[in-house]
Amino acid sequence: MNNQINEGTVSIPLSGRIDSNNASQVEKQIQEQLEGKNANEVILDASGLDYISSAGLRVILRIKKAHPVLRIINVNSEVYEILDMTGFTEMMTVEKAYRVVSVEGCEEIGRGANGTIYRIDQDNVVKVYNNADALADIQHEREVAKLALILGIPTAISYDVVKVGESYGSVFELLNARSFSKILANEPEKMDWCVKEYVNMLRKIHSTLVPAGKLPDMKETALRWARFMQDYLPEEAAKKLLRMVEEIPHDDHMLHGDYHTKNLELQNDEVLIIDMDTLAVGHPIFELASMFNSFVGYSELDHEIIKKFQGFDFETGATFWRRSLAAYLDTDSPTKIREVEDKARILGYTRMIRRSIRRKGLETETGRAQIAFWTDRLLELLEKTDTLLFSRNELVIEATTENLPEVQAFVEKQLEGTDCSPRAQMQFGIAVEEIFVNIASYAYAPGKGKATVRVELAEEPTTVTITFIDHGIPYDPLAKADPDVGLNAEERPVGGLGIFLTKKTMDEVGYEYRDGQNILTLKKKL
Amino acid sequence: MLDIRKTTENATVTITLEGRLDTLTAPMLEKELLSSLEGADSLVMDFEKLDYISSAGLRVLLSAQKTMSRRGGMKLRNVNATILEIFDVTGFADILTIE
Repeated sequence: MNNQINEGTVSIPLSGRIDSNNASQVEKQIQEQLEGKNANEVILDASGLDYISSAGLRVILRIKKAHPVLRIINVNSEVYEILDMTGFTEMMTVEKAYRVVSVEGCEEIGRGANGTIYRIDQDNVVKVYNNADALADIQHEREVAKLALILGIPTAISYDVVKVGESYGSVFELLNARSFSKILANEPEKMDWCVKEYVNMLRKIHSTLVPAGKLPDMKETALRWARFMQDYLPEEAAKKLLRMVEEIPHDDHMLHGDYHTKNLELQNDEVLIIDMDTLAVGHPIFELASMFNSFVGYSELDHEIIKKFQGFDFETGATFWRRSLAAYLDTDSPTKIREVEDKARILGYTRMIRRSIRRKGLETETGRAQIAFWTDRLLELLEKTDTLLFSRNELVIEATTENLPEVQAFVEKQLEGTDCSPRAQMQFGIAVEEIFVNIASYAYAPGKGKATVRVELAEEPTTVTITFIDHGIPYDPLAKADPDVGLNAEERPVGGLGIFLTKKTMDEVGYEYRDGQNILTLKKKL
Repeated sequence: MLDIRKTTENATVTITLEGRLDTLTAPMLEKELLSSLEGADSLVMDFEKLDYISSAGLRVLLSAQKTMSRRGGMKLRNVNATILEIFDVTGFADILTIE
């Protein structure tokens, strides 16, 4: 027997069988090794231990009494069972031996920031961590996966830690599962279904409240990116970027952090989200930024990247991203989708630029070209964006009559799912048209400007509030006198009916001019 | 969008509308009426497939009514309940001839 000394830690190997035949001999040998060492920690390395009887266990107890900080490591499963049954696992730290698993020739089914997932047999997959010293990461991932599961997110939790070459891996049960990337690559006709399920899961994650302090705050990470960029962007743009990240409110809802289609698995009929080590909390814009990068950003300059990583082509990825964003925002409005995509791109490009610079991208020609490409886009986006916040029920759109159908469709979509009768729908339509066309015709004439349309729903009784905001000249359309509806056709002036109809069909119509804004509100109970 | 179909029988022009009569489509109808009503004695408008009408549409109806009242008149046919209510609220029900 040999022992190793490491700063007060003495490691003693155990081997073969320890039973009543040799227990006292083994005890003597162990005591000899500990003699005069003043060990404050004793590690019993059980990698060679095949069996231990109660006589052997008594030896361990006596050593433990003399050296309270005692660990038994590399315990095989038979010995572990004995230690578990006899309560030893509760008395001292007992670490199982890591099973050795090979992933040679195994199918890669997922890949995340910290590791790669392989299928090792029909029922099991192993996530092999990039970091050689990954035990802490594995522990972290297992804890956050457990947390997510308890909070109602369908995921897989690892049940075993194994050695894969020089790396560690964690093993999950994943029966007959297929990743969404694989489905998209092989069955493009299932795009609609994939978008729907992908967005359902995303919504589920984003609506999950996480107890404070359980997960890292994504805003902190984004603040680090924005601070890093202070040295690499023109001063004004850099400040604006930092301000916009600072202004994102703290949010305790869950984010996955690496939400792409290789991390979504279809197991029989159940959709599971895996690769949980990036789990965090924060505003959904952070998630959307990472999604944009996964499907578009990382491969915008080299379309082969996504093919290699996801197995489908750039077009598929870009379409999937756009359609998922539309479904997530529950809108068909191209303006709305572009607005939120632009915000996601700001954080997405910021992250890629920082990553590239930190990987010495500025020292190579290709790196400099990439960084310049991303920086150009980032500056362009920063120019036209004032906030990274968004809400699903608000549309900011150029106030032109050509945009009326998009505004109408946006409002109709918001009213979907309420019990809005065709009659009320038309009344909303008439009111929305009247107000929006008014803004389009007069607010900024002869120039151009934007209008905000916000739809809010309240319950019991279901009440719809539609608010229009513009920054044009102060104008109260409600101030106009109502037309005399009793006049005959010849006497009636052509016009003035729209506002009148709006007042008649809505329960409340209000106007105020505040902070340089015309704010017009329509309210109606359904 | 708005689909406008026109048939002429003797001096009666029948216009069938399908879709939405709003700010964007009302000018189309206005233009169509301007040319169709030349020499027409009476006008019939079929609203069976008209889903929506806003004040922009009402304006076109009012000026058509003014034009046709000096001739053989204008009639609206197959007006649905929702649109009829709009006519009521605005007093158009009293001005227009609704079958």
